[in-house]
Amino acid sequence: MTIETKTDTPMVEIVNVHKKFGDLEVLKGINLTVPKGKIVSIIGSSGSGKSTLLRSVNHLEVIDDGVIRLDGVQVNRPDMKGLAFERHINHIRQNMGMVFQHFNLFPHLSTLDNVTLAPRKLKGMARKEAEELGREYLNRVGLADKADVYPSRLSGGQKQRVAIARALAMQPKVMLFDEATSALDPELVEEVNLVMRDLAKEHMTMLIVTHEMAFARDVSDWAMFMEGGVVVEEGTPDKFFSNPDHERTRNFLRKHLSSQH
Amino acid sequence: MELDFSPVIAYAPTLLSGVGVTSLIALVVALFSVLGGLLVAVISVYTNKVVSWPIRFLIWLFMTTPLLLQLYFLYFGLGEWILIPALMVGVLGLGFHYMAYNADIFIATIRSVSAGQYEASRSLGFGHLRTLFYIIVPQAFIRSVPQIGNNLILMVKDTSVLSAIGVAELVYASQYAISVSFRPFEFFIVIAIVYYLLNLIMEFGQARFERMTADRR
Repeated sequence: MTIETKTDTPMVEIVNVHKKFGDLEVLKGINLTVPKGKIVSIIGSSGSGKSTLLRSVNHLEVIDDGVIRLDGVQVNRPDMKGLAFERHINHIRQNMGMVFQHFNLFPHLSTLDNVTLAPRKLKGMARKEAEELGREYLNRVGLADKADVYPSRLSGGQKQRVAIARALAMQPKVMLFDEATSALDPELVEEVNLVMRDLAKEHMTMLIVTHEMAFARDVSDWAMFMEGGVVVEEGTPDKFFSNPDHERTRNFLRKHLSSQH
Repeated sequence: MELDFSPVIAYAPTLLSGVGVTSLIALVVALFSVLGGLLVAVISVYTNKVVSWPIRFLIWLFMTTPLLLQLYFLYFGLGEWILIPALMVGVLGLGFHYMAYNADIFIATIRSVSAGQYEASRSLGFGHLRTLFYIIVPQAFIRSVPQIGNNLILMVKDTSVLSAIGVAELVYASQYAISVSFRPFEFFIVIAIVYYLLNLIMEFGQARFERMTADRR
């Protein structure tokens, strides 16, 4: 695929990626290029491989074949072993923010410490400096007043906003969202979507796996529909959502648009 | 029968030194068994079967045989080869015994921390060991405190078993006084109260820690 762009190196490149769980092939040769500052939404039913693809970008799933690059640097390195690869992947991951469906905030740390732990321990930032930065990011997600609270005291929407602030505090080159609003009560979805819209305005490169069709249509530069481990259809959101080429895409969209209000 | 506590008062210095030895043993064994148990648990959970199975076997062995027997093995068994002071044998024996019990609990709580916590930490760029140190182990520790606290209370009482190998802790210290004063009940009552007070301190500390970490689960 190509998204029209003037920048040189794409931010994320996924080339012919294959992945098997046992005998089940969940990714059957996926290609995707995400230019800097662009937002790509990946949709599809559960089991389509969309989450596996996103997790592969961060090497939380180890792909069997193909290449994944971040800003020109290869993420998967089958040639590297042991500690050398560990160092390599830790470094790569510091440049990728990941947001999970179930938030995965660290319950033993205050909200502020959740945000500052990685900058302090991985970038060697002084506590004072890190806390200033942390408060700034908490402020950006509208939770400056929750800095000293523990995650157990937060609502789902607040937890996810802190999780986004935690990822942003490492000043990543790309943000990966793995169904960030799927575990939320409907009335809490919008506050998280708002934060993601803000990021879009600031031209953060984003790869979003989502079930929210209206949101995907609104915010994305490119949309992709996966089924059975292959990309069925992709295109600009206008074309993709209003006039898709494939019957399977139409079926999927019909089901999901009608189920939403 | 009338109770006469005057011999207890006469032998107060002996008893106090016994209290001191008991407290010291309890403190050292508490630190040793908790930190050691944590280390053993981490190694057992995060290594392959070649390492973890022998560890599990040792834990099981320590938990299924009597403490007294373990102490005899250490004291008289090892005594065949090297001379170790009874106090050292006692601290090591009690320490390993409760290290096994604590490790057993830590293994369960480490496993209970969700895979998502590990992934979230790794996705930020933390390596495996740092993830264990900053994320997994602290959470497991907080979850372990009620059961570890129970173990330590049992441990404080079990320091009395060390009297069997001649460690001059509280029970041992009182035995001489009893044998010359012929007032066992008075001594036993006072000693029981001392153990009760020591464990009251333990329970207080445990409750305080649990209150402090109530939000952090």
